[in-house]
Amino acid sequence: MAFNARNAFAFTAVASLLAAIVWATMGSGLPPADFTFGNLSEVKSFDPAIISGQPEGNIARCLFEQLTQRHPETLEPMPGVAESWEVSEDQLTYTFHLRKDALWSDCSPVTADDFHYGWRRLLGPRTAAEYAVLAWYIKNARRYSRGGSGISPGDPVEVELNLPLDAINSLRGELLHGKLVSLDNDLDPDRRTFLVEIDGQQHRFDPVDDQDAVGPPPAGARWCRQVLLDFREVGVQVLDSQTLRVTLENPTPYFLQLAGYYPFSPVNRRCVETHGNPQWTKPENIVSNGPFNVQFRRIRDRIRMVKSETYWNRDSVRLNVVDALAVESNSTALNLFMTGKVDWIQTVPPAALRIMLKQDPPRDDLNPAPYISSYYYMLNTTRKPLDDIRVRKALSLALDREEICTKILAAGEIPAYGLVPPGLEGYSGATCAAEDPEEARRLLAEAGYPEGKGFPRMDILYNTDEAHQTIAELIRKQWQRELGIQIKTRNEEWASYLSSHRQMKYDVSRRAWVGDYADPSTFLDMMVTGGEQNNTGWSNAEYDALIEQAARESNPEKRRQIFRQSERILMDELPIVPIYFYVSKNMVKPYVRGFYNNIENLHPVWAMWIDRDHKGPNEFMKGRP
Amino acid sequence: MIAFCLRRALWMVLTLWIVFTATFFLMRAVPGGPFDGERALEPEIEMNMLRRYNLDKPLHVQYGLELWNYCRGDFGHSFKLGDYTVNQVIAEGLPISIALGLLALGFAVSLGLLAGITSAVCRGGWADVALMLVATIGIALPSFVVAGICIIFFVFLIPLFPAAGWGELNQLVLPALCLGAPYAAYIARISRTSMLDVLSQDHIRTARAKGVGPVRVVMVHALRGALLPVVSFLGPAIAGILTGSLVVEQVFAIPGLGSHFVYAALQRDYTLAMGLVMLYTVLLYSMNWIVDLSYAVLDPRVQLE
Repeated sequence: MAFNARNAFAFTAVASLLAAIVWATMGSGLPPADFTFGNLSEVKSFDPAIISGQPEGNIARCLFEQLTQRHPETLEPMPGVAESWEVSEDQLTYTFHLRKDALWSDCSPVTADDFHYGWRRLLGPRTAAEYAVLAWYIKNARRYSRGGSGISPGDPVEVELNLPLDAINSLRGELLHGKLVSLDNDLDPDRRTFLVEIDGQQHRFDPVDDQDAVGPPPAGARWCRQVLLDFREVGVQVLDSQTLRVTLENPTPYFLQLAGYYPFSPVNRRCVETHGNPQWTKPENIVSNGPFNVQFRRIRDRIRMVKSETYWNRDSVRLNVVDALAVESNSTALNLFMTGKVDWIQTVPPAALRIMLKQDPPRDDLNPAPYISSYYYMLNTTRKPLDDIRVRKALSLALDREEICTKILAAGEIPAYGLVPPGLEGYSGATCAAEDPEEARRLLAEAGYPEGKGFPRMDILYNTDEAHQTIAELIRKQWQRELGIQIKTRNEEWASYLSSHRQMKYDVSRRAWVGDYADPSTFLDMMVTGGEQNNTGWSNAEYDALIEQAARESNPEKRRQIFRQSERILMDELPIVPIYFYVSKNMVKPYVRGFYNNIENLHPVWAMWIDRDHKGPNEFMKGRP
Repeated sequence: MIAFCLRRALWMVLTLWIVFTATFFLMRAVPGGPFDGERALEPEIEMNMLRRYNLDKPLHVQYGLELWNYCRGDFGHSFKLGDYTVNQVIAEGLPISIALGLLALGFAVSLGLLAGITSAVCRGGWADVALMLVATIGIALPSFVVAGICIIFFVFLIPLFPAAGWGELNQLVLPALCLGAPYAAYIARISRTSMLDVLSQDHIRTARAKGVGPVRVVMVHALRGALLPVVSFLGPAIAGILTGSLVVEQVFAIPGLGSHFVYAALQRDYTLAMGLVMLYTVLLYSMNWIVDLSYAVLDPRVQLE
């Protein structure tokens, strides 16, 4: 017995080892991709409505095409699915004419209805899309998105009825159109009921989830999924299958750029409604309309995409097979790049970057370039002594930003004296005063802390990261040196740090913002009173009014004037202390062509190709000696 | 034996429940939630998201709902890998971690035994000292350091292996080696001690007196007895290798459970983190169980009580 058991034990051990080797190498023999890039992390989804973030964006831009496209170098909007468009005099109405040869990957044509469906889906409250915010520039879109909170008596509404529990979860229930008569319990969204007049009859609706709608409703009421503003009120109108008319809330000069952003993708209704959420995004199910199709996806390994044979502009797509690797560790990504397994990585660990930038002769695969992003410290103006404008000014004046940029960062980062980064067309921002320790000491003394005496204990909060830590330490030293104040640094891991931010549990905190589109508003809108990103407690009525005014202004020059004024206020009151503007840290192999540095750090893969015979610097290295 | 297994199964259910409860409440006590991002969400949108995942309900209701789902074997959808259910993530990641773990174990056992036996036989000689020195260093060095050294040597200086990835034979060598290294060191020390112990026993002397050759004495007569402590170490080693592959998987970009676990915890992916904690609990528990059973099979002196 014992002898057999031992034999069996040894046998099992060897067999399982062999099985493991065989299983693990089954994936080998995968033909290599034409182009492989490190995509920072695993993407949340392929569903263009529910994603946000850079890795997701890289994939979504390959799989879906929107009304417009961005030029890979200048980022000018170019025809995408729409071959032409007209803008009305008041810049509120856009009429898009869709091309006839735009096809889905199942060969059916891409029509205006697909955009209507996709955009409604983006805005629908049940989708819970983070980037629905971007579509709120469309007329009434925000009210639609807010569901029951966005309507008031007298509004035309749509009532979505419940579906049986076994229905496919992406289907919408039957829609009833009517007029809202009144709302009950309108403070508590969970107990709210709606009195709606439909065809002259009044019905009371009680919104519940499908699983709760099985039982009988309370007396005199009907169950429904939700009551919303009638979508026909939202400024998205299908004129015919080839024409889409979009009406905006305000003149939005960057709307054509937005229309090329992935949340505004068309979505194939048949695919979504056949497979349901989230199964429709599985590689075997998904129907997309972009330059590439997904072939397969291995979680936290790679997404393989192949050139689409139905894409209208397929002749200009030169890559056939593209791999996006979900390599989360920057060092690992760099190792892969160095050993030639990856052709493009999107960031480089700071230590390696410093060494590589000093190499002689200069490297032919590294070219940091500025892009619209801003690194700053937020000051909690609800806490003493940061509520005193003199203290905030003193802190800013005592900073030596040049030292931070040259000593720590060293990739050509630009010292920042304003919130809005340079490079936006026609806009030159307002700035705060440069380093002046004398004046800083004077202001601090005036505020009651001569030579930093009696200055309360404060700390600088940053999220755990080597670069943020070094900067915080240096700033701590600068403040101590110039102002004589004692400050500590405190780090928290990312999610905790965000939560501390939201609850304003900090004195000074590091923060950064990357613009969603090339316009000052993406930065300046943040700081309005009660803004979601304004966790400083700062509020200024004049500033809020200016931002409001800018949103309605259709003259670009006047608009920029207003933004400059508002940034002036921000830089006078300094609820935030600008520190520097980021540079992109892409590394691109010299044989990759069609890759351009640009101010949104946006790199469409369809524009790239491989040219191993190419001699000399490629497009990416332009502007570097 | 049956009574033993039944009792163990009962304890397992209890352990799982306690681990579930502790994880559930600890995870929610940590600041930050799954939908916190650099961009703060508009309140309406955040509310919709919370409602969609039942996170708007009171904590005890959430707890009840999730416990019920777990009892039915439904681990829910991953918050951060929106296209996948937790079961799908585990189904893709577990085989990879198991394969990596087995390879690491293969390295650990073969290298460890070889080193342990050699140094026991050459006791006090230079080979013994050198091997045990290496073993001590192997135990002391954390795996990310070993990984870093291996990458410098075998990827950049002598380009034998790729820097990262999964699926090809040559991609397996470095991660398996780094993951197995500390266990190889342990096994070397354990097998050396038990080998020395066995070699000094009467039946070995008898065998030698009967004229059995030195190789046969060591490889047949002594090794059998000396293996038992090594086998009993395998249980914890397997569990340790499976749950300890977090760092190695990250360094070599291997899409196994270790990577999923780290990112699930960091990104507050409640459902995925919970699923993995429960899976690891089951793995650890059943490994110990199997080891206890294997004692009874391998050593007739052990009675299961």
